[in-house]
Amino acid sequence: MGDKTIVTQVVSGAKSTAGGLRQGVQIRVDIFALVPYILLIALTATLVSLNSRLLSIQVLETKLNAALPLMFMTTAQALVILTGGIDLSIGGVLSLSTAIAATQMGETLDSIVMWSLIILLVGMAAGAINGLIVTYMRVTPFIATLATWSIWAGVALFVLPKEGGTIPRLLKEIVQRGRLLGLPKSVYILVLLIIFWLLIRRTRFGTRIYAVGSNANNAYLSGAPVKRTLIATYSLSGLLASMAGLYRTIQYSAGSPTAGDPFILTSAAAVIMGGMSLAGGRGGVVPSIVGAVILLLINDLIYFLGVSTFYTPMVQGVLLIMVVAIQSLGHYLRRRRAVQ
Amino acid sequence: MADLELNNISKRFGGVVALDRATFHCTAGEVHGLVGQNGAGKSTLVKILCGVVQCDGGEILLDGKRLNFGSPSDGIASGIGMVFQELSLIPDLTVAANIFFGHEPTGMLWGISRGALRQSTLALFERMGVEPIAPDAEVCDLPLAQRQMVEIAKVLARDPRVIIFDEAPSALGRKEVDWLLEYVRELAAEGRIVIYISHDLREVMQVSDTITVFRNGRNVGVRRVEEASTDELVSLILGRKASRLYSPRETDIGDEVAMEVRDLRGGVRLQGVSFKLRCGEILGIGGLTGQGQDELFRGLFGIQPIHGEVLISGRPVHIGSPGSALRQGIRLVLVPEDRATQGVVAAMSVAQNLSLAVLPRLQRWGLVARDRERVVVEEAIKRLSIVVADVNGPVMRLSGGNQQKVVLGKLLATKPRILMLYDSTRGVDVGTKAEIFQLLRQLVAGKGSSVLFYSTDVDELINMCDRVLVMRLGSIEAELSGEALTEENVIRASMGEAVKEGAYTRPPPVSQEVTSDRSS
Repeated sequence: MGDKTIVTQVVSGAKSTAGGLRQGVQIRVDIFALVPYILLIALTATLVSLNSRLLSIQVLETKLNAALPLMFMTTAQALVILTGGIDLSIGGVLSLSTAIAATQMGETLDSIVMWSLIILLVGMAAGAINGLIVTYMRVTPFIATLATWSIWAGVALFVLPKEGGTIPRLLKEIVQRGRLLGLPKSVYILVLLIIFWLLIRRTRFGTRIYAVGSNANNAYLSGAPVKRTLIATYSLSGLLASMAGLYRTIQYSAGSPTAGDPFILTSAAAVIMGGMSLAGGRGGVVPSIVGAVILLLINDLIYFLGVSTFYTPMVQGVLLIMVVAIQSLGHYLRRRRAVQ
Repeated sequence: MADLELNNISKRFGGVVALDRATFHCTAGEVHGLVGQNGAGKSTLVKILCGVVQCDGGEILLDGKRLNFGSPSDGIASGIGMVFQELSLIPDLTVAANIFFGHEPTGMLWGISRGALRQSTLALFERMGVEPIAPDAEVCDLPLAQRQMVEIAKVLARDPRVIIFDEAPSALGRKEVDWLLEYVRELAAEGRIVIYISHDLREVMQVSDTITVFRNGRNVGVRRVEEASTDELVSLILGRKASRLYSPRETDIGDEVAMEVRDLRGGVRLQGVSFKLRCGEILGIGGLTGQGQDELFRGLFGIQPIHGEVLISGRPVHIGSPGSALRQGIRLVLVPEDRATQGVVAAMSVAQNLSLAVLPRLQRWGLVARDRERVVVEEAIKRLSIVVADVNGPVMRLSGGNQQKVVLGKLLATKPRILMLYDSTRGVDVGTKAEIFQLLRQLVAGKGSSVLFYSTDVDELINMCDRVLVMRLGSIEAELSGEALTEENVIRASMGEAVKEGAYTRPPPVSQEVTSDRSS
């Protein structure tokens, strides 16, 4: 013990040169987070230069209208991917939502409101079921949501075997036509969606979503209610998917039992395009929505270039790989800096 | 009645009994040390105490009240905080978010107030009396030592009634360790119940008032620190009398050079290191943390670019990556610092980990031959005395010391010529350490292999190594051997002061003495 005292005295006199971050290094400016926005501006600029009429209010309104379902689906997917999972069933939920809306809604306001609420509840319940399967049955999200997707798609087919059905005119009136304070209603819907997300992100629940995606085990050790958080996240995803379904039904004035299928992979692609890691714990919903817009703009760009839009998926794919490569580079550089 | 009582706690994991009707009593206002070998049950005991693990039987009484835990959040709610050995931080969240996780200051609409979060974090660091770490820095960007400080801050932020330190200072620098030991005593003086787990007996005796020893899942002795001696504690830990920890040094090392490095530079800190590693030698690298030792080892191993010359057996080589070293036939391996993330493959079983480095040798027609694999695995387990219930079980289920043995076993299976160890005995229990040291001695005995050994434990350095090169500010400050190889000289060189040549005869090993044969 005596020797230890000598050592302690001798050492405490020295200047500690223990390595590590000093206070100067704080917040990294993450340039890589700007990639989706840069792409967005670049694409928009290119499109506008090709066809200046694109900047008119009517065109923008139409575009926004068309993009809203994908934006909702992308948000749903982003939430789940943030927790480190994935949700393939949102396609089925969307299809089922359109099926119910197109077959059950009556012309009265009461009927519209009631069935809208039912559809939203169905979406939330579908999501909750996903959450329960993933947490209590410990099935990996990919498999769990693949299974539930088939189930909901099946129910959709049962409710509405063929594309068709009717939508009450009143609903279309309320949601789509007319302006509120000079702006199309779709703008308000988008703004509400983003505000909704920003509010959630600021709460402890929002922090928990990121924590569970980053390291679920440590989140558990730190006292987070992991199971509850996951179930809530999947429920939100289902809710957003059913909202997307409602809007799409209004758009097309009809339901379709397979309406949701194209959204599944596209929503995941949008999330990745927005810079989110599939591992979860990092990224945001707003960049993901930007990613969705980018994917849609690519389609427009191809059209205006006079090329067949059959090439769209290919171009989207190539861009996706480029974006992932850039993100990986950013990741690698961060790692190297941390080592030093 | 004691303030904290754990009575008759039992716990099994599959076929292994971790705790066998164990008892543990603590009083508030003092530091209670908890020691024992890996697998003795101390980690399991405290994990039950904080709710991470549920016991099969027994009761927990805090201030006379019976506690029932289903999860860590129950433990936290009851005022129990644990500084985890393997850290419980969320990598992608900021320092502030981690520290106040679950009880962040909220403002409007349930939103977390980021300003208040930042302020509270800085205020906490100030109360702790340490240099603040940037609240908005992401934990994954921080070096291990700082992450450890964040982990400690996180527990303190909840102002817990019971604090458990599980190998808390293992990656901290000297100054931080001193701070911690003093702070632990302060925390106890404030009336809390403080439990301190460590493998470093000197440390435990320095900081504790009472010490409990666990062995084989049972409480085998409680002593007041004034009445206890290291020898008595060691024999309680082992269940038998002690003998030397370190085998006598080889004094007869030839001149044949296994590896020579000239003017190595790289990274931020490595500023020109040159030395020769002789065949059959255990060469130690010492010095304060952060003097370039990290870059040196990474550079030699090939995971960090460095400049300078490296000669293996007289031949100049360029090691661009560990794979490239393998392809050139250079049998050089590295046992890393952080076994959980860099050493074992957590998702794989014990057997898979052990055979991982030699898979090409185990192939038959492109498939892994299970019989050959089994031979390798059994040999490693036998050679290193790895305690494992099921070789096909996940490697993470093993205790820290045994995991380290798995890492070592995996690398030894490649029959390396140069074995590099980077602070690999951190948080490893006394018995396992002795086994590892004996193994290293055996390895170099035939002069076929050499060892490059970095440790922050000065005692280990002077007893294990034939020579020690003390690094400071990126280059070698002093080379110590023979009579000059003393604890005092290593410390002096670490700080840039002149060493005393042969002024003292080598003092007897101050540390724990242990037998190297454990049959527990």
